[in-house]
Amino acid sequence: MSIQIKVNNNVRKFRFFSNEMTQAELAEQVGVSRQTIISIESGKYLPSLELSFRIAELFKVSISEIFSYEVLTD
Amino acid sequence: MSYQEKKTAVTVILGVILLVAYCLFILPQYQLGVNSEDLKFWASSILTFIGISIIVNIIIQIGFHISLAISIAINERTGNEDHINKKIKLEMVEDERDHIIELKSLRFGYYFAGAGLLISLFSLVLGYPAAIMLNILLLTFMIGSIIEGIVQYYYYRKNS
Repeated sequence: MSIQIKVNNNVRKFRFFSNEMTQAELAEQVGVSRQTIISIESGKYLPSLELSFRIAELFKVSISEIFSYEVLTD
Repeated sequence: MSYQEKKTAVTVILGVILLVAYCLFILPQYQLGVNSEDLKFWASSILTFIGISIIVNIIIQIGFHISLAISIAINERTGNEDHINKKIKLEMVEDERDHIIELKSLRFGYYFAGAGLLISLFSLVLGYPAAIMLNILLLTFMIGSIIEGIVQYYYYRKNS
C-alpha cells in the first residue's frame, strides 16, 4: 500500500508578509507565469523541487516553512 | 483567460478550419474521379496543403502576438514601449507547468495518430488504394492535433 500525502503551502501568507507582493511580481521573480502561481496557491499544481527552492530563496526561508505535507489515512 | 489558453483555443479553431478545408478539397477530387493510384498527385497535394498550413499558422501566431500587444497597450493606457514589452514577455512566459500540460496533451495526440497509422495499414490490407491510406494518415494526424489542443485547453482550465 502506497503512502498518500496532501501537500499544503503558505505562499499566499508569505506574499502578504512581503509587502503584499502581487502574484505577478512573485511570478516574475521566480520565472514562471502568474497562472502557475495561482495554481500553486490553490493547491491545484505541485511545483518542481527547483521552483519550490526558488520561492523559498526569494522569501529567505526554508522550503519546509512554505511547503508542508500531511499523511492521509483511510 | 490566460495567453496560453487563448493561444491553444486559436490553434484548435485553426486546426478545425484546416481540416474542413482539406475535406472540401479532397471530396471533389474523388467525385471528379481522380485516379486513386496517382500517388504523385496526392503526395504533391498533401505537401502543398502542409505548406499552406504552416504559413497560415505563422501568420495567425504573428497576428495573435500583435493583438496581444495592442490589448496590453489599451488596458495599461500607456505608450511606453518598454513597459508593454515587459508585460508581453510576462504574459508569454512558458514554464514547467506549461511543459507538463503540453506533454500530457501530446500523449493523446500520439495515441490518435498511432491509431490512424494502424487504420491506414489495415486499409491497405483490405485492398483500398494507397491514396486512401495517405489521406487516412493525414486526416488522423490533423484530428490528433485538434484533440491534443482540446486536451491542452482542458488541463489549462482545470488547473487555473
